[in-house]
Amino acid sequence: MRLWVELIVSGFITGGIYALVAMGLNLQYGLMRILNVSHGEFLMLGAYLVYWAHLVTHLSPFVFLPPLLVGLFVIGLVIHRLCFRRLAETTPEVEAFEARSLLVGFGLMFVVQNVALLVWGADLRGYQYLSRTVSVAGVGFTANRLVAFAGAIGLGLGLILVLRATLLGRAVRAMMQSPTGALLVGIDVRRLHPAVFGVGLALAGAAGALLSMVFEISPSMGEPYTVTALIVIALGGFGSVTGSLLGGLLLGVVEAIGMHLTSPSLKMVLSYGVFMLVLITRPNGLFVR
Amino acid sequence: MMRVLTFALAMAFVLAGASLDTSAQSDAPTIKIGYAISRTGPFAPGAQATQEPSYILWAEQVNAAGGINVKGQKRKVELISYDDRSEVETIVRTFEKLMVTDKVDLILPPWGSTANFAVAPLADKHGYPVLAPTALSMKLVDMKLPYFFSMLPQPYVLMAAAADMLAANGVKTVAVIYMDDVFGLENIAAFEPAVKAKGIEIVDKKSYPLGIKDLSPVLRAIKDKNPDAFVGLTYPPDTILASKQSKEIGFNPKVFFTAVGTAFPLYKQVMGPDSDGVSGIGSWSVKTSPAAKAFFDAHVKRFQKEPDRWASAHGWAGLQILQAAIEKVGMDRKAIREYIASGEHATIIGPVRFKGSEIQFPGTVSQWVGGDFEVVWPANRATAKLSIPKPAWK
Repeated sequence: MRLWVELIVSGFITGGIYALVAMGLNLQYGLMRILNVSHGEFLMLGAYLVYWAHLVTHLSPFVFLPPLLVGLFVIGLVIHRLCFRRLAETTPEVEAFEARSLLVGFGLMFVVQNVALLVWGADLRGYQYLSRTVSVAGVGFTANRLVAFAGAIGLGLGLILVLRATLLGRAVRAMMQSPTGALLVGIDVRRLHPAVFGVGLALAGAAGALLSMVFEISPSMGEPYTVTALIVIALGGFGSVTGSLLGGLLLGVVEAIGMHLTSPSLKMVLSYGVFMLVLITRPNGLFVR
Repeated sequence: MMRVLTFALAMAFVLAGASLDTSAQSDAPTIKIGYAISRTGPFAPGAQATQEPSYILWAEQVNAAGGINVKGQKRKVELISYDDRSEVETIVRTFEKLMVTDKVDLILPPWGSTANFAVAPLADKHGYPVLAPTALSMKLVDMKLPYFFSMLPQPYVLMAAAADMLAANGVKTVAVIYMDDVFGLENIAAFEPAVKAKGIEIVDKKSYPLGIKDLSPVLRAIKDKNPDAFVGLTYPPDTILASKQSKEIGFNPKVFFTAVGTAFPLYKQVMGPDSDGVSGIGSWSVKTSPAAKAFFDAHVKRFQKEPDRWASAHGWAGLQILQAAIEKVGMDRKAIREYIASGEHATIIGPVRFKGSEIQFPGTVSQWVGGDFEVVWPANRATAKLSIPKPAWK
């Protein structure tokens, strides 16, 4: 029994990060059809910025979370202005836009990764933060993983709350449901699109910051998370932010239990197995009504 | 106006280039040494921790001394290097270009077993000697390539040393995890017979893929079996992950052994006092010899980071052998190969010789003791005393 509790909690912890990464990507895709394959690179950027700030100041990495969110939001605005706005203006068809945004994403991936390489080098890096073990009823976890999980879930729920409860959130959801309808009722796309793109990057950066508290970081750390995020999005449904949160947690638990019962070498098989099963049985996502 | 400007710029460029040329011509021709190594991609952290810094440091030291003495003429070393992006195709293509098109005088090996596996037959075909400091593969050694020399003792030597150490310290049961690539598979294949020969039982054995982010499901199962020793045939990120998560779940066996990366300075930096008593693959420390200390200090001074306590020194030893070979027999690659293959070479890891492709060097085990990664096994190589059982995680 204790083992199962441990496995499930451990799965939730991994899944929380998956969820946060996927929510940001899903927001960008669901709203603007930008398939941003460089999403993981901004996660890496967030991880490095917090690592670096922590190294210089020795303050808790959490202190840097708010400025990081703002910083990546601004970077998001700039990137949207430079890359995606023009692309959207010159490419009215959705299919063509998706394909082209994919290419832009690949370009960004190389640029951001190589900037990190130039600035920080290829070495694996890391720092110690809250590495003591917290034990609840005989089940032990390091404090940093619990804190990272809390941060991921907090940000995820916060985002859902904003989308549900505020006028801005309603505008975003309206855009996702019907872009034309939203235009008709006077929602300002030119302001909303860059903002949502920025929020997506900010969430990726936050996920990176949380990861840097737990794992070692390197310039190539982002790519696997982009792949996982795509699986999570398929699980939870394209455009469904709540679905991404639940999908991320679910994938984490499936991986943890599956790895225990079979072998960690089968992790990718498990992830893709879930992915294919969902595509076959519920192609619109598990949580889409 | 623009035309004029462009012309002026072009002229300035040509003139600058010309003046560069004349300055280069005044010296003896440089020794062109080419290599491709991982600066990006999954191999990059390992390559940048253990290998490329040594190449750069060596070339700088050689050139600061005026160059290598080739038949009475001092010739400087010119490194021609490329990023191989951790891709086997790029590695092979780049080395092919270096040897066939660029016709470099010598090459230096890429990083890791996989990359060396791809390059060694190619270098052999073109007759370029390779002294590889990061290739662990019996398959590669068994190819019996005359131009390939491995600077590391092979898995069966390393794993026999680890098994000896375990048996000598009363270990009866061991749990092992290994990465499912060339490195992990060859080492587990060597480890199993080695421990069985010593009467040690393997109570759990699990493989895992590169880039794993959570080993706790496996470690918890291992903890329940309560083995005397834990052996991880791991790569740097997973070495740290396994250590952190063992601490997390309170798994503290008598011997905690992890493979690649335990010897990295990063290990101590992220594990802090928890590193104390963790053992792993390592083969030297600053206490090994004054020459080793000098290499360590020069590395720190040049790169503001310490070399790792395993392959870094073997790589440096390879460069020492190469340099000695050039000084002795000149630039003929066949003669260099003969020189390397025969006789004993003085290096910072001690005197070494080769039998076929294999270096004749004992298997060693190191352990974090008092803030440094010291050699603790076998006794005649030890720079510190082995401490067993491992103290509790802090």
